[in-house]
Amino acid sequence: MIIDENKSLIVARNVTKYYGPFKALDSVTFTAEPGELVAVAGPSGSGKTSLLHSLAGIIHPDYGEVLVDGNDLAEFQSRKERCSLVGIIHQQYDLVPQLPVIHNVLAGHLGRWGLFTSLLSLVWARDRRQAYDILLQLGIADKIDDKTSKLSGGEQQRVAIARMMIQSPQLVLADEPVASLDPSRAEEGLRLITDLITDSNKTLVITLHSPHLIREYCSRVIGLREGKLIFDLPTSEVYDHHFDQLYDIGH
Amino acid sequence: MKFWPVILTRHRILLLLLVLVFAWSLFSVNWSGSIIHTGGRSSFLKLWLSLFPPDLSPGFLLIASKATWTTFTFAVMGIVLAITLGLPMGVIASGILFERSSVNRVPIIIVFRGLLAGMRAVHELVWAVVLVVAIGLSPVAGIIALGIPYAGILGRIYAELLQSTPRAPIDALSQTGASQLKILFYGYIPAVLPDMLSYTFYRFECSIRAAAILSFIGIQGLGYQIQLSLHDLLFDQVWTLLLFLILLIVLVDLWSTRIRRSLLA
Amino acid sequence: MSKFALIVIATNNTLRHMSFTKGSLFLFGIFIIVSWGFIFLPGDSGFVELFRLETWTNIKIFILRLTGTESDLTPAFFQVDRWIATSKLAYQTLAMSILAMAIAGIGAFLTMVWAARNVSNGDLGGVPSIFGNVMYYLIRANYVVSRAVPELVWAMIIVFFLSPGILPGALALGLHNLGIVGRLTAEVIENLDPASSVSLRSAGASNSQILMYGIMPQAMPHFITYLLYRWEVVIRTTVVVGFVSAGGLGREFILRLNWFHYTDVTLILIWYLLMVIGVDLLSSWLRKIVDAD
Repeated sequence: MIIDENKSLIVARNVTKYYGPFKALDSVTFTAEPGELVAVAGPSGSGKTSLLHSLAGIIHPDYGEVLVDGNDLAEFQSRKERCSLVGIIHQQYDLVPQLPVIHNVLAGHLGRWGLFTSLLSLVWARDRRQAYDILLQLGIADKIDDKTSKLSGGEQQRVAIARMMIQSPQLVLADEPVASLDPSRAEEGLRLITDLITDSNKTLVITLHSPHLIREYCSRVIGLREGKLIFDLPTSEVYDHHFDQLYDIGH
Repeated sequence: MKFWPVILTRHRILLLLLVLVFAWSLFSVNWSGSIIHTGGRSSFLKLWLSLFPPDLSPGFLLIASKATWTTFTFAVMGIVLAITLGLPMGVIASGILFERSSVNRVPIIIVFRGLLAGMRAVHELVWAVVLVVAIGLSPVAGIIALGIPYAGILGRIYAELLQSTPRAPIDALSQTGASQLKILFYGYIPAVLPDMLSYTFYRFECSIRAAAILSFIGIQGLGYQIQLSLHDLLFDQVWTLLLFLILLIVLVDLWSTRIRRSLLA
Repeated sequence: MSKFALIVIATNNTLRHMSFTKGSLFLFGIFIIVSWGFIFLPGDSGFVELFRLETWTNIKIFILRLTGTESDLTPAFFQVDRWIATSKLAYQTLAMSILAMAIAGIGAFLTMVWAARNVSNGDLGGVPSIFGNVMYYLIRANYVVSRAVPELVWAMIIVFFLSPGILPGALALGLHNLGIVGRLTAEVIENLDPASSVSLRSAGASNSQILMYGIMPQAMPHFITYLLYRWEVVIRTTVVVGFVSAGGLGREFILRLNWFHYTDVTLILIWYLLMVIGVDLLSSWLRKIVDAD
């Protein structure tokens, strides 16, 4: 299959990143097409979060380059353009605990809103209808005015997803979003995320440590170990020994 | 979809109340033309000009240093009195000495907490005025005026700290048959000592400010000197004294913070 | 084993590993001894007076006068018209304390953000700027000065160019507490978990937006708690500041004392206690509301 790099959503070439003497990413190269659901697998410390952060533009590689939709994130322009391109959800959701749910959700608009609008919205929520509809889809519309810290882990995850939907970037990154949930909630959460992605023709790059979940929900798997890319295969071609390689079982 | 209840959240009501109350307080001020003294503007200017430079003549520096030292010693003695009174009262008010005895400790606790609250309620200057009228102007009056309210403050905190110590070591000690007093020393005090010391040093810093103020009523010290210089309109002297005061407080604050950091580590 | 030895051992055990503290305590002990010598040795400390019969008789007379039992006249605190007259003063004193808290609150609110190191040096994802760093040191220095100078000294200075009344006192109290509340809240901001701010940034927020959506919501509960807690302290000092700034109960207190109207003094003390208790209760109740949410 010929991959036309001009049309790929993500192009990562020889991405290398050091934290002091520690090499977090070692010449990682891969591409991703629009609409793919890519899983990044590997043990902790293998560089999954660093990879995601370089895709998000939070960190910049020391060598190599990252292009998202043809744009080099290292030389990025306005935050407005970047946030409409890439968005990221973390394991701890990182919502603001004291804010009511609606404001955490509408924070997805902050890249587009001016200063005055943002301030005004805190007093009188703009786009309340939009937020409500999204929360309805996610099943937590009744919590819209509750203080975010009062929600359970699974509910907070859905608030983070709602914020992401409002932000609506082309590329959605998720760093272990279901790691702190119990198995049934985790499946529910993943199903929500992947359904939303496919419905809106977006692309997902997600780090997961459960091979089962990876197989269920993702179309492609990238395996990392000690910062190096070990394999990059469609899910159908990934077997247990691939995962074992990553986790060093039996060596 | 809820509308009205949303607008009137608890926080919004509170905020509105605060704004209203603030506005009300502004109305209580007499905002007439005479709000600024006649000659007030020139005094204000003169005040700021006198900062550059403040009075640094050797004679005055000596006076300022002596006043600073006096204030410092007052604060030390005051806090010592506060600890001497506050510690026993705090221990009694916490009720831990009576845990295993047959004495009903509730009235004792109430009485002592009430005493501490009463001591705390009255500002040290008010105590000072009352004491001066009663026993005349003297250093001891100032020290007692500082010691009593601070004893109330310290005693209350000590009582609360003692009451919130973890039970397990205490219960273990009582198994050994130790008397309540011994348990106090072996079990309670080592547990609360860091917090007690930390808070006491914090209050020591406050007591320096209080000692400076107390010296206004005629007991020697920084406050007294500031008052003298202000009366003579010698603003550059006032600045010198203020700088000494600020320096003293900053030093004690740094010391106190350092201690607290090493204690709570 | 004597009880004293017990104390020394228990203290020593706890402090064994804390040498800075131990050294400090030792130093403090020296200060105590020296201060004792400085104050009490010269002989004019008034210490001896404490034990003279005359002193205690004076105190007894003083208390009798305060309670109104010394003379035959009706004490002021039993006269309704005196109560009404002083209620106006109490009202003014209350207004003074609230105005002071408003000044402290607004001033701290406007400045506390720059006083937090992680905002000024860009740890929260912003770009560190020289402006930010300069502001940090400037505002922190301001806080130190306003905290260090006692309210009364501020009041005495302010009275030089503002007419006596509530305003000078409120301004003095407000300035002093501005530094306190500002510093406390800035420390809270410095200890905030940066995760939510980083997350907002990746959603596209600018520095100001992160401030509004991320920092302020987390800092506000602490800010309000500190304000309410300081109000309790301020109401006690407000009466005293009234001595100097000639407003409210404080002025009346000094006047009555000078005129030897002892029962009026008691009446004012009663108002004082009522207000202190009232503000304590109100403040605790409001703090519970803020914490609960």
